[in-house]
Amino acid sequence: MSKAIPAGNALDGANYLSHTKGFLSWAFTLDHKRIGVMYLISVLTAFFFGGMAALAVRLELFSPGTQFMGQDTYNKMFTLHVALMVLLVIIPSVPAAMGNFILPIMLGAKDVAFPKLNLMSYWLWIFGALFFVISLITGGLDTGWTFYTPYSIDIDSASAGHRFGGVLPALTGAFILGFSSIFTGLNFIVTIHRLRPPGMTWFRMPLFLWAIYATAIIQVMATPVLGITLALLAVERVFGIGIFNPALGGDPVLYQHFFWFYSHPAVYIMILPGMGIISELISVHSHKHIFGYKFIAFSSVAIAIFGFLVWGHHMFTSGQSPLMNIVFSAITFSVSIPSAIKIFNWIATMYKGSISLNTPMLYALSFLFIFSIGGLTGLHLGTLATDIHLHDTYFVVAHFHYVMMGSAIVAMVGGLHHWWPKITGRMYNEFQGRIACGLVFFGFNLTFFPQFYLGSKGMPRRYHDYSEALMSADKLELFHTLHQVSTIGSYIQAIGFFLTLYYLLYSLKWGRKAPANPWGGRSLEWQCTSPPPFDNFSEAPTVGDCYDFSVLEWDEEDQSYTWQADAHESGGESSGH
Amino acid sequence: MMIPSLLTMLLATTGDLKVGQFGMPVQASEVAPVIDNIFNFITWICIFFFVIIVGFIVFFMFKYSKPPGTPATSNVTHNTPIEVAWTVLPLILVIFIFYKGMDGYIDLRSAPLGAYEVNVVAQKWNWTFHYKNGATTSVLIVPANRPVKLIMSSQDVLHALFIPDFRVKQDVVPGRITTLWFTAIKAGEYDLYCAEYCGQQHSTMLTKVIVLDDADFDTRITEEANYIDKIPPDMLYVAGPRLYMRCKSCHSLDGSDMTGPTWQGLWDRTVDGEQVFTDGTTLSNLMGAGKLFDGPEDYVTQSINNPQQKIRMNYSGSMPTFKGQLGPLEVMAIIDFLKHLDKFDTDGNPLDSADDLATILDAAKAAEAASSNE
Repeated sequence: MSKAIPAGNALDGANYLSHTKGFLSWAFTLDHKRIGVMYLISVLTAFFFGGMAALAVRLELFSPGTQFMGQDTYNKMFTLHVALMVLLVIIPSVPAAMGNFILPIMLGAKDVAFPKLNLMSYWLWIFGALFFVISLITGGLDTGWTFYTPYSIDIDSASAGHRFGGVLPALTGAFILGFSSIFTGLNFIVTIHRLRPPGMTWFRMPLFLWAIYATAIIQVMATPVLGITLALLAVERVFGIGIFNPALGGDPVLYQHFFWFYSHPAVYIMILPGMGIISELISVHSHKHIFGYKFIAFSSVAIAIFGFLVWGHHMFTSGQSPLMNIVFSAITFSVSIPSAIKIFNWIATMYKGSISLNTPMLYALSFLFIFSIGGLTGLHLGTLATDIHLHDTYFVVAHFHYVMMGSAIVAMVGGLHHWWPKITGRMYNEFQGRIACGLVFFGFNLTFFPQFYLGSKGMPRRYHDYSEALMSADKLELFHTLHQVSTIGSYIQAIGFFLTLYYLLYSLKWGRKAPANPWGGRSLEWQCTSPPPFDNFSEAPTVGDCYDFSVLEWDEEDQSYTWQADAHESGGESSGH
Repeated sequence: MMIPSLLTMLLATTGDLKVGQFGMPVQASEVAPVIDNIFNFITWICIFFFVIIVGFIVFFMFKYSKPPGTPATSNVTHNTPIEVAWTVLPLILVIFIFYKGMDGYIDLRSAPLGAYEVNVVAQKWNWTFHYKNGATTSVLIVPANRPVKLIMSSQDVLHALFIPDFRVKQDVVPGRITTLWFTAIKAGEYDLYCAEYCGQQHSTMLTKVIVLDDADFDTRITEEANYIDKIPPDMLYVAGPRLYMRCKSCHSLDGSDMTGPTWQGLWDRTVDGEQVFTDGTTLSNLMGAGKLFDGPEDYVTQSINNPQQKIRMNYSGSMPTFKGQLGPLEVMAIIDFLKHLDKFDTDGNPLDSADDLATILDAAKAAEAASSNE
């Protein structure tokens, strides 16, 4: 018998949760799993507040005129939504929360390379978040997450607040969050290079790790540019030194170049880890070898590289030269190819598989549907002639929500369900999980699909109002109808997420105890108990082909997958002890 | 209720202008059909791929859905020819899309020589359009079937001029001059939006493009240039509502507090010198012969031309200067308007039709015609 066959559920025995007790044992833990869980709780809290802001924004847009928020409040609310969602939720959600928990175990390591740096990343996240709270208290932020100059440095502006209030704490917060992100990325790069156990070659790594690796490279290379840019902005705002402000001899378009040099690659920081999760979910729940492993792995790296060269496509109308627009448009299309490869390979993975339509798989299928729309509508925006019309309209809003929310967040939630038994040792209610996934999927499309139509019709984004006095009647009526549909959709999504919150919390106490391997995964985390022990592996784990599911068989009694008795010889290769 | 109204919208057409497919608005400029063709072409490609992708997903999802423990019937790990094919074929397709987009973009950017030029000034939160003959308007007035080039600058932050029905958009950047051109194909009124977030009242920075046939355009633009001279000197206040269009995003007429102080009762307070400034000084102490302000009229004039000089207490001082944008007569008209606010309602509409600018200009025109006929 293989020694790697786990003992199943460890809730009653020794595990990372029961290892030590008390607040300090969590606050100063060096255990990557606990840091991952703390990240998860923090990120989901930020997701809650960001979601509330989104619902407020959608409610305000339900009808023309002011519903319950004035212009100032609306501008602060959408900025709050985007600042929370981008900086505090999506960027750290998969790498820092899921990645922290899963990456070392998947790799077969006992922890990340620098556990203390890992803890520091987490606390930097908390400090960064605190600065956003300070920003809220000192006047709020109404610049959008882009901090475009000269608006963001205009201290006389009615709503940008005091010289030291509003914008400045937010800049500081984003600066600190940047370091959190850099440290996490650095940690993961070193972990993947140095801590792979014998037998875990680069091409045996699960694709999730390839995705996290590509992400970490972007984090380490791009985020410092954001840090410098925000620091320059802060200096300009406080001391009035002319860098980006034309009144002082600066150039606002230069700021946009600096900003998007980070923020476009950041889009891939957000989506690549989600793609990594999807590679795992599709293959595990189809119980079939991932199709085209190397194409998927290299497409992640290709996206990371091309992602650095396309920032100018956010600036087609900014006043940069037409020649640059043409060059950026051309390079932009190169990014579409690796994304298309991934989609085709995922679908091919399902072919002749044995698909279990579990909640994680349903999220993965939702991802495929939504990401296809998000990716394809990117063609309209990468194309120069059509982007001029669509830029800064709801078409763009719809497009990036299809990619950021419908893809990155849906993948994150799918991954959360996939690894929930591993993280908590409990199973959630599968039926409720499917219902919630359906609500999120339906609500999402109802919210954002009409926004494509709104945008092509010409509705600009970041508008508090679509006023009867100012817009032509035919546009107004259409805008009104589409905004109503969109708002209804957003509340259906909210119901789905609240249901998810409910059954996940419920499962913590009353859920069925999870077996070691409820889905039939082959990567190493499924060889640990659920939840995993403090030090992950007491012996070096058996590393094999992490997508060869033929060695697992279903145990009806335990509702769990176990190794076939003779599998050790055929499927797994011992790690050479 | 919602769905039928959506359907009627989808089917509706505006006049004899074509409406673009897939939610594109009416095609009111020469370039619009070109852009829409590219948009439709890409959209059809998207639909084609989407149907294939989702078709396979749904088919596989049902066909291969099995109870737990059923082994997969294939364990193929890769197929290099297929994978190379679905890498190369989309690549060829996107190169073609890029080319079409670049082609259309070059059309969008290449203004023909001899285009009619209008200077555009954007500031929080309104547009001002300056024409060759000295006319200044808050709506954009352009001739039909003639290329028009907008030469744009911003007084404060980023803005973007966007005319959906023309498919044109361009950021207006402080410290730079940006340009945009179009040829409108039919007389009519079209929406013009600010598309780059510019602060508090971004969503009210809207105006209209009025397209006129050549003859109408020439007449109108001449009238716009010298309308203020046609007003009887004792009735200058009738130009107030027109000028107020550029002030209304910050100043109310009904007493409500906005970005700037309300104009209701402002003249009386100015005469009494009640205003207190952020530096602690009071207007009454600064007004009089030999002081900073000669009198109330001078105070208002200086506030328009140099608004940062003295900022009212409790206001942020975000008003841009209007120096050079308003002629001396127009400044006087605003002062006269402040003195005669009782003749207007809180939206700036005259209570008595005798005070209506259009009526007065029509009368002046008729008198002119009569005198030239003699």
